[in-house]
Amino acid sequence: MFKEYFSIAWRSVTSHKIRALLTTLGVVIGVSSVILLLSLGNSAKAEAEKQIRSIGSNLIFVSVSDPIGVLPSIWMDEIKESAKIAYYSPMVQRPVSYSINGVNTEVTISGVNEDYDYVSSLTMTSGRFLNKLDIQSNYPVAVVGSKIADSLFAGADPIGKTLVINGVPFEVIGEVGARGQNFSGDNDMLVYISYDYALNLFSSRAFMTTYYITSVTEASVNTTLAKVSAYLDSVLPSNSLYRAFSQSQILGIMDTLMSLLTSLLAGIASISLLVGGIGIMNIMLVTVRERTREIGIRKALGAKRSQILLQFLIEAVIITLLGGLIGLGIAYMGAFLISALSDFKVTIGLDTVVLALLFSISIGLIFGIYPANKASLLEPVEALRYE
Amino acid sequence: MGDVLVKALDGISFEIEEGEFVAIVGPSGSGKSTLMNILGCLDIVTDGTYKLNQKMINEYDENDLAGIRNTSIGFVFQQFNLLPSFTALENVLIPLTYARVHRKEREQTAKALLTQVGLGDRMYHKPTELSGGQQQRVSIARALANNPEIILADEPTGALDSKTGQEVLSLLSQLNQQGKTIIIITHDMAIAQHARRIIRLKDGLVESDARYEDFDV
Repeated sequence: MFKEYFSIAWRSVTSHKIRALLTTLGVVIGVSSVILLLSLGNSAKAEAEKQIRSIGSNLIFVSVSDPIGVLPSIWMDEIKESAKIAYYSPMVQRPVSYSINGVNTEVTISGVNEDYDYVSSLTMTSGRFLNKLDIQSNYPVAVVGSKIADSLFAGADPIGKTLVINGVPFEVIGEVGARGQNFSGDNDMLVYISYDYALNLFSSRAFMTTYYITSVTEASVNTTLAKVSAYLDSVLPSNSLYRAFSQSQILGIMDTLMSLLTSLLAGIASISLLVGGIGIMNIMLVTVRERTREIGIRKALGAKRSQILLQFLIEAVIITLLGGLIGLGIAYMGAFLISALSDFKVTIGLDTVVLALLFSISIGLIFGIYPANKASLLEPVEALRYE
Repeated sequence: MGDVLVKALDGISFEIEEGEFVAIVGPSGSGKSTLMNILGCLDIVTDGTYKLNQKMINEYDENDLAGIRNTSIGFVFQQFNLLPSFTALENVLIPLTYARVHRKEREQTAKALLTQVGLGDRMYHKPTELSGGQQQRVSIARALANNPEIILADEPTGALDSKTGQEVLSLLSQLNQQGKTIIIITHDMAIAQHARRIIRLKDGLVESDARYEDFDV
């Protein structure tokens, strides 16, 4: 029996192809944009989490501004034991531009110490990272990011080359593997030199230093965070001069933000689903009116109320489900295009697909029930008389 | 209608036996359409009783009425009332589908009926590809689908020329001879002459009820 309803409804839909397509356009747009936005949001979230996780989860960031120089230069070593700090590295960053053959290249100089490669989980592709001796001897050596060789040395092996920073020649001793982009910029256009050297070069004691700290274990992250904060509170004149937060806090904030943004966008997009649903209801009402006589004939031939109701309800669901499938196709194309044209990977999860299709069916049911009910309630005598 | 109750039929009473061929005639406004709707279970009486096969139809609900229309009554309409986007075969299948007849059996029955009314070679034509007489024959086949006891024909020749009209009437006579109860509603006495009993309606009342034998042909 169900098969018959389906074939009747399918026939009615296919005999008005353009109308069905236009009717379901709202659902098409709604479904495709909701799927695409949800997938984009989820992919962005996953990507961000992956990036942050790759830095390490027992990591703490402390940004300190010390304009009047009250902080002892070895403050971190003083509290290392009590604050359960495993490794740390300060970092100060300054942009420098190079003009090579008339092309301007922006490079960021990062002043760090010998433990920076550990706390930031750097991998070396050649040479070595700065070591304790480099730092103590104050000898001008530099480690470069993976894109520096292409940008500054015309693709040649940078090891042993000389890089002039603010008039001082630095010998390149190592190259770091690709790290990619994140919210603070392109990590592959960095040049790492000694922290003290960087401070001297840019005479920038007053600039903000970010400390990358790893706590002894993941469990002691909060202890470290509290101790460091307590120390800075006691030394600095104002607690607005520093910010300290852990990797997991950032992760949590990112997560909340992305989820919020995703659901907000999907919410906006789902308004078009609502509009699409109203369109369906509108057309179904027209259809019922147009086919009043057909309904009368069917009733005269023995159709029960429920049978007429089901026929029109299935018709509405077919239209919205069709819209959902077309929308799904468009979303897949969109995801494919975005993935192909950018380095952002958008994957549409099976759960999103199921959700979208269930949504399209529900819209057909919700907005189809009123017209279908109206059809089923027609009096056979009246309906047969309808011209 | 406000407070004014218009009585289309008032105080009429008659019985139709199984196997009769009855014509209900009367001018427009005589109440014959209302009578046909009641006989066909498309409408129910507001007062009084209608008994069909010993069943008190006026006590039935909508679903039961649909069931009776489906299995006990076959409608033949003046305007054929075929579904235009369906083929002759599919039109005949509709009542069988609502009766939940099995697919194979359904097709067999519908094809046999179309062959019986002489449209064995037109089964896959749509109504627009058929002549008026052929369309009416499709609708007769459809009326016969669930093998009902009664064929209710409302001006069955109204949209046909006299020759095809005659063909349709003789088809109905044939069905009567096979045992079907035939009720024709018409305003045309010439059509009514084909029946063996004529009930004349006027202003909602039975004016006369006469058997064929009483008539001068």
